Amino acid sequence: MTIKITRRRLLAGSAAALAMPRLSLAQGAKPRITAISQWSAGSDGAAISALGKLFEDRGGVWQHNPVPGFTTDMMNKLRAQIMAGDPPAISQLKGPEIAAWSKIAPTVDISPLVKAAGYADKVSAELAKSCQPAGHWIALPLQVYRLNTLFLSTKGMERAKVSKAPTTWAEFNDTAEKMKAAGMIPLANGGNRPDDGQKFEIALAGISPEVYRRAIMQLDADALKGKEVLAAFEQLRKFSNYMNPNIAAQPWAVNLPAFVKGDMGMVLTGGWAQGNLFKAGATVADFSSGPAPQESGPPCFDLNADCFIFWKPKSADLDAGQKLFAEVVMEPSTQEMYSKITGSIPARTDVNLAAEGFTDGQRNSAQNLRDAIAKDRVVLSLGHNMAQPNGMTAAMIDVLTEYVHNSAIPAVEGQKRLVAAVAGAQ
Amino acid sequence: MKWTRVIVYAALIILALLFLVPLGVVVVNSLRSSQEIAATSLIGWPSQLVFTNYGQAWNRFCMAEHCWGIEPYMLNSLTLTIPATIISTLLGALAGYSISLWRFRGDQFVFGLVTLGIFLPEQMKLIPWVVVLRDLTLMNTIAGLILIHTVQGMSFTTLFCRNYYVGIPQDLLKAARIDGAGFFRIFWRIILPLSPPILIVTVIFQFTGIWNEFLYGVTFTSGGQQPVTAALIALSAAITSEPMYGEQSAAVLIAALPTLLVYLFGGRYFLRGLTAGAVK
Amino acid sequence: MRTGLAPVATGQDAGRAQGIWRRRLGGVLTELAIWLPLSIAAGHVVLFTAWTTWVSFTASSLMPDYTWVGLRNYWSVTRTANFQIAYVNLLIFGFGFVLLTMALGLLLAILLDQRVRGENVLRTIFLYPLAVSFVVTGTVWSWLLNPGLGLQRVVQNLGWQDFRFDWLVQSDKAIYTLIFAGVWQGAGFAMALFLAGLRSVDADLVKAAQIDGAGPWRMYRRVLLPTIWPIFITVFVILLRSAITSFDLVRALTGGGPGISTMLPTLVVYDFMFQRSELGRGSAAAVLMLLSLVVVMAPYGLYVRWQRQRQARA
Repeated sequence: MTIKITRRRLLAGSAAALAMPRLSLAQGAKPRITAISQWSAGSDGAAISALGKLFEDRGGVWQHNPVPGFTTDMMNKLRAQIMAGDPPAISQLKGPEIAAWSKIAPTVDISPLVKAAGYADKVSAELAKSCQPAGHWIALPLQVYRLNTLFLSTKGMERAKVSKAPTTWAEFNDTAEKMKAAGMIPLANGGNRPDDGQKFEIALAGISPEVYRRAIMQLDADALKGKEVLAAFEQLRKFSNYMNPNIAAQPWAVNLPAFVKGDMGMVLTGGWAQGNLFKAGATVADFSSGPAPQESGPPCFDLNADCFIFWKPKSADLDAGQKLFAEVVMEPSTQEMYSKITGSIPARTDVNLAAEGFTDGQRNSAQNLRDAIAKDRVVLSLGHNMAQPNGMTAAMIDVLTEYVHNSAIPAVEGQKRLVAAVAGAQ
Repeated sequence: MKWTRVIVYAALIILALLFLVPLGVVVVNSLRSSQEIAATSLIGWPSQLVFTNYGQAWNRFCMAEHCWGIEPYMLNSLTLTIPATIISTLLGALAGYSISLWRFRGDQFVFGLVTLGIFLPEQMKLIPWVVVLRDLTLMNTIAGLILIHTVQGMSFTTLFCRNYYVGIPQDLLKAARIDGAGFFRIFWRIILPLSPPILIVTVIFQFTGIWNEFLYGVTFTSGGQQPVTAALIALSAAITSEPMYGEQSAAVLIAALPTLLVYLFGGRYFLRGLTAGAVK
Repeated sequence: MRTGLAPVATGQDAGRAQGIWRRRLGGVLTELAIWLPLSIAAGHVVLFTAWTTWVSFTASSLMPDYTWVGLRNYWSVTRTANFQIAYVNLLIFGFGFVLLTMALGLLLAILLDQRVRGENVLRTIFLYPLAVSFVVTGTVWSWLLNPGLGLQRVVQNLGWQDFRFDWLVQSDKAIYTLIFAGVWQGAGFAMALFLAGLRSVDADLVKAAQIDGAGPWRMYRRVLLPTIWPIFITVFVILLRSAITSFDLVRALTGGGPGISTMLPTLVVYDFMFQRSELGRGSAAAVLMLLSLVVVMAPYGLYVRWQRQRQARA
């Protein structure tokens, strides 16, 4: 009797055929990883591609979906995937968002892997905490940036006859005035929202990291109403007066040529600016970098880090891929490679940056991190979504960005609005 | 009087030049090297003509690991836009025909609801669409995007077509009914042949709208299937870390070519269609 | 769903007065062809709006979460500076954009109506901005209007050192730059509609006026423009819709800045829903947007109804 090839039989047959490879996959599963990030271009794009290549060299299949646009668009894509029941194996997430998002979809406990690699005590405690919202590791950091970095244009310094980097805000303002007198624009910062947020936090962290912690990270109302925050607002007003008046809504990269030429003197931003400068054709001789001014005590470390969160995988090959990825990303050599490309510093504090390919700025930054961890002077960035969840950050930056671009708002008013914004967003 | 003619021509030429300035800037920038633009100014004459931007934009610039330029994304956009435009236009014609010439209870109400769709902001509809596509297992497929744009496009196309069809004389229909023609026969034999002006208008609108759409394009596709708008945004995101104004300008021109061509060729009919169509 | 052969009784609508036949039961296919696309289209409007309204009353943050919280989201959204600035901007941008676009479109239409040579080329030049995506328009205009990169710098380099055109970076003037870019993009569309209307005016009307000795100025004012009055309404509605749902243009041109001075309602929705991951508040902002639309569109709807009644009676 001939067996009728009915559609049902066909389906059953193919289902069986599909199921079989899965069993064999479990034995020798080729590790595969699906990833979502926003890094489609520039040095970030190059770095993630290099990481992917490394992953493939180690036998994995790398499937990365870069979502162009702002971080929001990438998070939207992630949200859509999660709602559709199909999250990627890893996705770019940072700070308190890791905790928030981990509540809406299951994650993987990678603490055993972290323990095996002895990784936990090699990274800053603040960073480790953000990756363990429920007490166990569900995310791994990729790279760390120091946000409170001061870049100085060599030619600019010559032109303004400034010989040493300012170490307090008073010296900074002094230097800025000298630059202004020399016909330069003292501060080459950008005019975007994160830019405005970061200027404020650099000012406040430079005044007092303890107050920063209480006010920005813990949202303590007394700290927010205190005199340090007021002083930070006043310094922020000075920054806005020292900036390029045409910079609103433009990234700082627009100022790059002027900075290199010496028409603009200083930038207060994160370590990635180094990557920007090299890409624009500058050389090590064209600029110098160091910690931003610190009023008292050794320089603090305003931390910004990118992490990957691990979502519960649906198949054995993704599971294997995650394990491989975790291994790869915790290794010192991987972090070295990544940081060389982007200009960041490794999340691990025990990586030797004396090697070729790192700048003195990066070495200084890494040492700064080690010292700051030892002295408990690490704070998390507000403008780059490390200190607070996105909703609170956005409410605070609304106030800060308006303050920067509207010089009619006095510092006292700015502080009042910040307090109100924090209260309103809670 | 002669001098009024002079004024008219002068005004038109000045306005035309003003309108052309942005396009001119982009075209000129696409012929300058990115380094030069970054070093001097975004508006200026090229010190030397550079033609590599186009090649670079077409199949060499990198989006993370993939250095295949915007060519595959252009193909994706075509695969998305052409079917979605055609389907939404036809469905709109059908719906407009039903509403305007075959009355049924509640037809004005339904028409109002459908038209209201043009006012809904797309951000608001994003999450509901995620749920719909998920249930239809169309996430991350071009088919899913086609579905979205077709359903949303119907709001516009029905509006235009219905306004156009109410102008069709009833006698035509009555004669056909007496001859025994039914719903579909009348549509095929009478309505469609009369429709080219309005169909061209809807095709132009839909093609432009879908081709230039970004939010859904990026959320409902992944990686190599993204439409060309995603690639353009990736290029402008690159600006923050390395100056690529030259390639960006070239890519913008390449990406705008299909819609510009559609306007070029359809422009004549656009006017005729608007006369009869949207003008109600 | 009714079927049956009865011709519809004449009513007040002009359409019905022409005695249209109710559709005959043409089989399942006909029913499907009529109802399937329409119900999907109408249905999606109703369902999505209803869902969004429901979510606006819940505590949704990262994901929909159906815990009822009443009006809390509305309360919190309307009290943010973001939102308040956005609605003020919408008024400024809405009026400015719609009125200027109509004015320029009308001017262009009148100019092109003069039977000029090269009308096709000119018309294409004025229409091409419509073909370009808002993202591109916004980006290019952000270059042109940037004082340090674009127009101001060029003019200054040409010698007029005191020329200033830095509205883009001033908190109180940036919103007007949006109007510039918007008018550039939309004037062609308005022009096309007005031109189409002018060209379709009854030739006899024109001739009669010419015989009466009307010069061109009088012709336009007394005859042509009043005749194409319905087109004004259509253009107004479509431009208004463009202004209210405008998102890509703002994001690309100013990003909502400087500071938050060019926020618009669509950006507020996007900001709350996606950037801050507060779906509940974002949905509340969306519902408020729709309500404001109803407020604006209701007069138009009433006007159409009134006009139809007038036609039926005439």
